[in-house]
Amino acid sequence: MKKNINEIKNSIKSFIAESFLKNSPINDLTDSTLLISGGIMDSISTMQLVSFLEKEFNFEFQAHEVDRDNLDSIAVIANFVSSKING
Amino acid sequence: MVNPTKLYQLLDQSAQKYADNVALFFQEESISYSQLKKKSEKLQLQLSDINIGEGDRIAIYSHKSIDFVIAQFAILKSEAAYLPIDANAPIERNSYIINNCEVKALIIHKSFYESFKQNFTLVSELENDLLFLKSNKETLIKSPPDLAYILYTSGSTGKPKGVMYSHKAALEFINWSSATFAPTNNDCFSSHAPFHFDLSIFDLFVSIKHGAKLILIDDQTAKQPLLLAQLISEQKISIWYSTPTILNMLATYGKLQKYNYETLRLVLFAGEVFPINQFLNLKHYWKKPTYYNLYGPTETNVCTHYKIPDEVKSLIAFPIGKCCEHYKSKILPSGELLIGGNGIMLDYWQSEEKNSNPLSKDEHNTVWYKTGDLVEIDSANNFIFKGRIDRMVKRNGFRIELLEIEQALHQHPEIIENAVIATTDEENATIITAFVCCKSVDWESVIKMKEYCSKNLPVYMIPNNFIFIKSLPQTASNKIDYQQLKQLI
Repeated sequence: MKKNINEIKNSIKSFIAESFLKNSPINDLTDSTLLISGGIMDSISTMQLVSFLEKEFNFEFQAHEVDRDNLDSIAVIANFVSSKING
Repeated sequence: MVNPTKLYQLLDQSAQKYADNVALFFQEESISYSQLKKKSEKLQLQLSDINIGEGDRIAIYSHKSIDFVIAQFAILKSEAAYLPIDANAPIERNSYIINNCEVKALIIHKSFYESFKQNFTLVSELENDLLFLKSNKETLIKSPPDLAYILYTSGSTGKPKGVMYSHKAALEFINWSSATFAPTNNDCFSSHAPFHFDLSIFDLFVSIKHGAKLILIDDQTAKQPLLLAQLISEQKISIWYSTPTILNMLATYGKLQKYNYETLRLVLFAGEVFPINQFLNLKHYWKKPTYYNLYGPTETNVCTHYKIPDEVKSLIAFPIGKCCEHYKSKILPSGELLIGGNGIMLDYWQSEEKNSNPLSKDEHNTVWYKTGDLVEIDSANNFIFKGRIDRMVKRNGFRIELLEIEQALHQHPEIIENAVIATTDEENATIITAFVCCKSVDWESVIKMKEYCSKNLPVYMIPNNFIFIKSLPQTASNKIDYQQLKQLI
């Protein structure tokens, strides 16, 4: 079943807020907030996110796809996920 | 052959004995021992054109590459000392280090050149986008004799401090490694740690000494377990050395079951505690190798070692083991571990911390270093690590003085005061929490704080959590009450 891009974004956003932004209002976490470059995710949290995405959206990352270019903001991640699952 | 007394002689001897063997491999490129020697000698000539020699320091500011190693050997060969810079750290921090170290020259990647234009003059362009710059400063402090390299680490004054290592001390450790792990020219070593981190001394010089092949791992691959898992298998690495954090990431996220690790014979880890459950998870995939837990601050390099038994029965953390053969040890009544011998650093570079110098000499002229680590001895005579006497913590193997984070936050114009503490989570990982009092609620944003930190601190120092409070609790003597803060988490 195809997933709408906004559904994908919401699910990524709540994972990031719950896992990496504890005790914090998430009003300023936007689709374009820089996650890796902005210091919100380090290499371990990046892998936690990758694991979450693989389970949640039922696809597998190729080794070279786990890269800042595909993971640095909610918008970028959602586009990548959408291209993987919606073709 | 004679016993080397200088690090570059390790390369000279291997270039003679194993001329055509591959010395280094990096991203599809390789270089033989004879080429590595030739190229470093060519660069050495360029260094000598501006009279670089004994007493000087040269910084290398670039990501890991074959050229980085060529530069290291060129500098050593000219009898100067090299200063490796963390190309991923904020440029302000790196400028401080380069300034503080009073380097005579800088070998720098083009992309970082802009910030150094004022204080350095371009001498020549080297291969692969590297530039050779010389300092505009007329008089520079002379290094102590035999200095080989300076590694900067987090300092308890809040500023990075330089640990000075001599050729003699580095060779003590390298020779101990040879005797303990018996590497050969058939081995293939990993170079996972960045060159500014002391784990790199083993990778680089022990592999070169034995004519082995060294696989240089770039910064991006180094923290990406899927690529790393593939590379270790494809390159047939036989000797691996990293922090437990990386090994745990490999076991948890690397999909190790996909690959063959037949050639892997030795896995060394150091820098932090490796929780047993995580270790067993790794061993489930990598059954064959012999594992060692190595321990030692940057000031001593490895000073105790523990061979992990084939069967791990207890869930109590591994001991850090027994003192290495080139060292002596003793424990103060407080429980603090002291290490003595010829492998210890020369001193700190121009340190303000001289007043509380942890180095001392005994009546037999043995140099002793106070590690600041608390230990106990178990029934098998192994040291057990029990904690620190001060506020230094380890995270992913990197050493962090919490004051350095506090001072970086203090520079933020909207922060009135702050305090940083470290705790451990259920997996025994270090969690850093910053308590911050801001001038206005607009700044009470974890995202804004992390963004600020990512511009002013190395990634491994960015706090995991931020807690915004109106004021910091104080003790009766008007100091920050860190104990009370711990209870707020």
